[in-house]
Amino acid sequence: MDAQPAIAVEGVTKRFRLEGGREFTALDDVSLSLAEGEFVTLLGPSGCGKSTILRLVAALEEPSAGRVAVEGRPPAELSRQHRLGVAFQDHALLPWLDVASNIALPFKVAGMRVDAERVAGLIRLVGLSGFEKARPRQLSGGMRQRVAIARALVLKPDVLLLDEPFGALDAVTRRGMNIELQRIWTEQRTTTLLVTHDVGEALFLSDRIVVLSGRPGRVVRVVDVPFERPRHPSIMRSDLFHGMSDDLTEALHPPAELP
Amino acid sequence: MSAVLRALRASWGILAILLFWQIWVGLSGVNSIVLPGPAAILRSLADAPGLYLSSTAQTLALAALGLVLGLLLGAGLAVLTWFSSLLAGLLTPLGIIFASVPVVALIPVLARIFGYDMRTVLAIVVIISFFPSFVFTGAGLRALPPGSADLFRVLGASTWRRLTLLALPAAVPDMSVALRLAAANSILAAMVAEFLMGTSGLGYLFAAARSDFDMEKALAASAIATVISVTSFLLASRVENWAARNWR
Repeated sequence: MDAQPAIAVEGVTKRFRLEGGREFTALDDVSLSLAEGEFVTLLGPSGCGKSTILRLVAALEEPSAGRVAVEGRPPAELSRQHRLGVAFQDHALLPWLDVASNIALPFKVAGMRVDAERVAGLIRLVGLSGFEKARPRQLSGGMRQRVAIARALVLKPDVLLLDEPFGALDAVTRRGMNIELQRIWTEQRTTTLLVTHDVGEALFLSDRIVVLSGRPGRVVRVVDVPFERPRHPSIMRSDLFHGMSDDLTEALHPPAELP
Repeated sequence: MSAVLRALRASWGILAILLFWQIWVGLSGVNSIVLPGPAAILRSLADAPGLYLSSTAQTLALAALGLVLGLLLGAGLAVLTWFSSLLAGLLTPLGIIFASVPVVALIPVLARIFGYDMRTVLAIVVIISFFPSFVFTGAGLRALPPGSADLFRVLGASTWRRLTLLALPAAVPDMSVALRLAAANSILAAMVAEFLMGTSGLGYLFAAARSDFDMEKALAASAIATVISVTSFLLASRVENWAARNWR
């Protein structure tokens, strides 16, 4: 029963055709799998194709070779059933809707009755009480991303996909958002695939880290994160955290490439 | 008191021109067939308010109805091109051709089809208002907030929900630009059509008065048209500002 992974990426290669007919290999024979309720991070330098993996799982791209399955089915099936939650670096909030309506949007897209209690609960969960009627442009960058994450969770998705959700934020806000996300995730325990190039973010949030190399993207290392949940921010100051952080940074940039 | 002062400060230029006009007409002694003064025009308005009122009401009603129909037609066709690129290839060149033919050239043709009456005036206003709405709605339907197209795909949105929940609301600011562009023009188009066909309305009133050398009446008619055009432009600008504030 628990043999079937929540997300399975098997031997996936993705090639893009560039202008002028040349082909560009973004991913080369990548495999990974997520168990249900697992939080896995794809860590890699920019341009390594980690976002492409996420887009394949979200059914926004088709693999050139290999197979992507979510709960054993093609990902497009899951998105048709409105069981995917996503948050991108672009918060993609609709400027003409207020916070509550933006969070309620997936209900409307799915043609379901809006569960006002669920929306109100998520607004509390992401710490935006009092801002229900605010428009996105009246919010700070961090608040917009909270709304985007609440929107991703509103339908209780089977799978949560996060593509550098805090990539556009400053370091201090980003750290705060990571602590928030870890608290929110601990309450929901949704199977989550996060894409980031931030080592600390990956270590603090995930159960497992998949390190990718750049051009073409390949899996170079898989690291299990040993910290117990719920995780207190103080683990970020522990020796183990620093040691793993150094290891991962080195895995990202092989010493030969450093000056 | 301060409201009066503020109004004076905003419009003293126009008042100065009217005053200069009145004084110049009085001093130079030009015949009123050439150019009457503003006071004479006002007198003409006050003498026969019923005549101006009924003509204005008719022109205004035709312009407003034609504006609404034209905007709806343009937006409707833009939505069709959103659904199908095949239809876009058919409708876009047709729309451009229609918009490029001078109204003056269209009027005799349309008058033969619809008859020398209000229906042709209405058709002209519809054609004039249609094009900005078609172009701006078409652009607005495709000017989506960043990332929202991907979001709707991942959420498994149907084409219909993508239109009603994403593309149409995203097009509202552009549609309000089309309204601003078309609103003032619709009055103008209605008057030109009435002027050329000569049956009724403010445009006809102007044409008839001019051929009778009744310049007070002719200029009174154009003064009314100016006030309506400016007012509709200002109202439409307010709508545009509101849309830009709340929809972007």
